[in-house]
Amino acid sequence: MLGQHGSTNAPERELLDRAQMGDVIAFEELVGVHADRLYTVVLRLLGDRGEAEDVLQETLLRAWRGIGRFQARAMIFTWLYRIAVNESNRALERRLRRGTTVQVDEEAVQVPAPAKDGPGNRAEQRELRDALELAIADLDPPYRTALVLRDLEGLSTREAAEIAGVGEAAFKSRLHQARLSVRASLGDAALVAAG
Amino acid sequence: MRWPGRQDAHAWSQQHLSHYVEGDLSPGARRRLELHAQECPDCSLGIRAVRALLRLLHSSEDRSEARAPAGIFDRVRVDAAQTDTDTERAHEA
Repeated sequence: MLGQHGSTNAPERELLDRAQMGDVIAFEELVGVHADRLYTVVLRLLGDRGEAEDVLQETLLRAWRGIGRFQARAMIFTWLYRIAVNESNRALERRLRRGTTVQVDEEAVQVPAPAKDGPGNRAEQRELRDALELAIADLDPPYRTALVLRDLEGLSTREAAEIAGVGEAAFKSRLHQARLSVRASLGDAALVAAG
Repeated sequence: MRWPGRQDAHAWSQQHLSHYVEGDLSPGARRRLELHAQECPDCSLGIRAVRALLRLLHSSEDRSEARAPAGIFDRVRVDAAQTDTDTERAHEA
């Protein structure tokens, strides 16, 4: 996935060179192609559109200010993803310090619909999806990040660990703990019945 | 990964079902968890629950990207304009 987004191919390299010399139009073109994907992951981490937009703007500002230090051998999307995750976690920490809770925007979190969609079990599936979204929203930031990057975004462990800024073993530990918490919230019988 | 004493086997298995499904256990630990799960309905159910959870999360259905709102580069543009102004002033000074 990151290869599709991130390799510094020729046009991207040219845009990067121009952006690193202070060309804001080139920067917007370079980064803009990744904006929807970045917004999606920030939205999944925060569950609130207004906050996600603010964090995305801050992510892009930090990227603009740091583009001069970006190493071309790295992948631009991995770099942007990492800034976005760090900014999202800062926002989550601020939220925790304020003691505020956010009503989860169900469309924002976008947990996929279960495969079984017969008329008889739609209400149960809706209930399970709601419970799943709440369970993800209840995870502490490092665990939520692990689950979102690996299980919702579909990144490899190596990519996700790099973006989260931890080693693969530590990342896996967070991921398993996050799944355990979500499983405990939903209940094994409900999961098996839905899946 | 160390395998616990017999009385802790259930608690240990419950904690490591995701590791098992993901293939993160050593061959010995994997075999012991399987032997425990064969006798333990809760752990057997737990394995199926982890798989169901992953199917739910991994499903490619409905995994569309959200569209980034307009104006996401506003702060970048303000910052770039400010930098330009500062640079011009430095040249003039």
